[in-house]
Amino acid sequence: MSVKEKLKRVLIEDLNLEDVEPDEIDDDMALFGEGLGLDSLDAVELVVIVQKHFGVEIKDMEEGRPALQTINTLAKYIEQRLAG
Amino acid sequence: MRMAISGIGISGGFGCGVAALRQALQRGVVEPRQCSVERNGATDTFPAYRTSIEGLDEFIPKRALRRIDHFSKMTLHSACLALQDAGLSGGDLSRLGVIIATGYGALKTTFDFLDSYLDFGYSCSSPTHFSNSVHNAAAAHVSMHFKTTAPSLTVTQFEMSVPSALLTAQLWLAEGRVDQVLFGTIDEYCAVLRYCRRQFFATGEQGPLQPFTFAEQSAVVGEGAAFFVLSRGEEDARYGAIDAVTLGNHAVVPLTLPHDDLLIIGADGHAECGRWYAQALTDRAVAAYAPLYGSFPAAAGFDLAVAALSQQDGLLYASPATAGAADSALQVVAARRPLGKANIACLKFGPGGDYGLIRLSR
Repeated sequence: MSVKEKLKRVLIEDLNLEDVEPDEIDDDMALFGEGLGLDSLDAVELVVIVQKHFGVEIKDMEEGRPALQTINTLAKYIEQRLAG
Repeated sequence: MRMAISGIGISGGFGCGVAALRQALQRGVVEPRQCSVERNGATDTFPAYRTSIEGLDEFIPKRALRRIDHFSKMTLHSACLALQDAGLSGGDLSRLGVIIATGYGALKTTFDFLDSYLDFGYSCSSPTHFSNSVHNAAAAHVSMHFKTTAPSLTVTQFEMSVPSALLTAQLWLAEGRVDQVLFGTIDEYCAVLRYCRRQFFATGEQGPLQPFTFAEQSAVVGEGAAFFVLSRGEEDARYGAIDAVTLGNHAVVPLTLPHDDLLIIGADGHAECGRWYAQALTDRAVAAYAPLYGSFPAAAGFDLAVAALSQQDGLLYASPATAGAADSALQVVAARRPLGKANIACLKFGPGGDYGLIRLSR
């Protein structure tokens, strides 16, 4: 399973996004606000989810903020961290 | 001070709402669900009275519920049903106090939070699990949803949680701190609870639940929420009123029972509690309804709901199970009977002889 697919699944499961299917989450859809509708508490949960499921720690929010925009940006961040 | 009961919202193993409870009382039978827990490669299968919260999204949009756990969803559902039943939905509820009585609190979320801490450490503990695991979380969800700005409190005193919390409701109303109290009693099932109960009671929880076999363990685990709208006004007493609430310990100061009241006892198949009923009750007309909703500390609130419904209907429903009654001098209510002028009292014993007595009248 690709990082993007796994991300979508764990987002739905851990954030309890009822009535949302993985294929309904577009890779470039905004995770917060008008897009998927996540909020600031979800951002904290997202940091936990990324560490728990991918072993990647987001320590610095200055660095994390651009990563937490879309599935594409978050997957890219995770892949870069895992690679090196 | 009398507390009038103007609305009831309830959900348990028998279904949701006052009509479902009345139907269960009329039928006299609710079959527990067969549940199973996988552990260490083995499957533990057992009966349990589980609660469905279908219909909650009629009151609250699904999206607003996604951070709310099962414990708080059960709470919100029964709270909504109680306010609807009392005709208070949608009005100004700023002077509505909220009091919740629970024996265990939000068990599943608490254990989920602890699991996340133990498995992944401090940095991966879920903030949502944490915020829902604190005891007053469910009451806070209710207060926020209904925009009540009056006091909101959760009381936990295990088996005595319900009478203890009722005393606080009485105080708030007497002091004029609130106009009404939304009073709820709630406990939830979870797999860890099943594990603990199995360690304590081994095969003693396979049912059937026999409340009057006082010396034997026959409890069947249950869960549910029962809410009541309480007020000072006699004109609101659709389900009668609560006259008095007494807490004590039978081993220290023996319980004096009101002479003519019909008794609904909270015997639920726990031998440790059962022995106190056997000791304190002789030659009395009693009923017990635990076989309709199972065994859990907040079930004392379900006995209260049955008493309130009986007052409205003017009759006491038959005890669903009477086995063991012949071994005692009790007159178990085996068929429904008119209440006449009799009042009802709900009696609950804890394992150490602690008791709570709630007296009601029309």
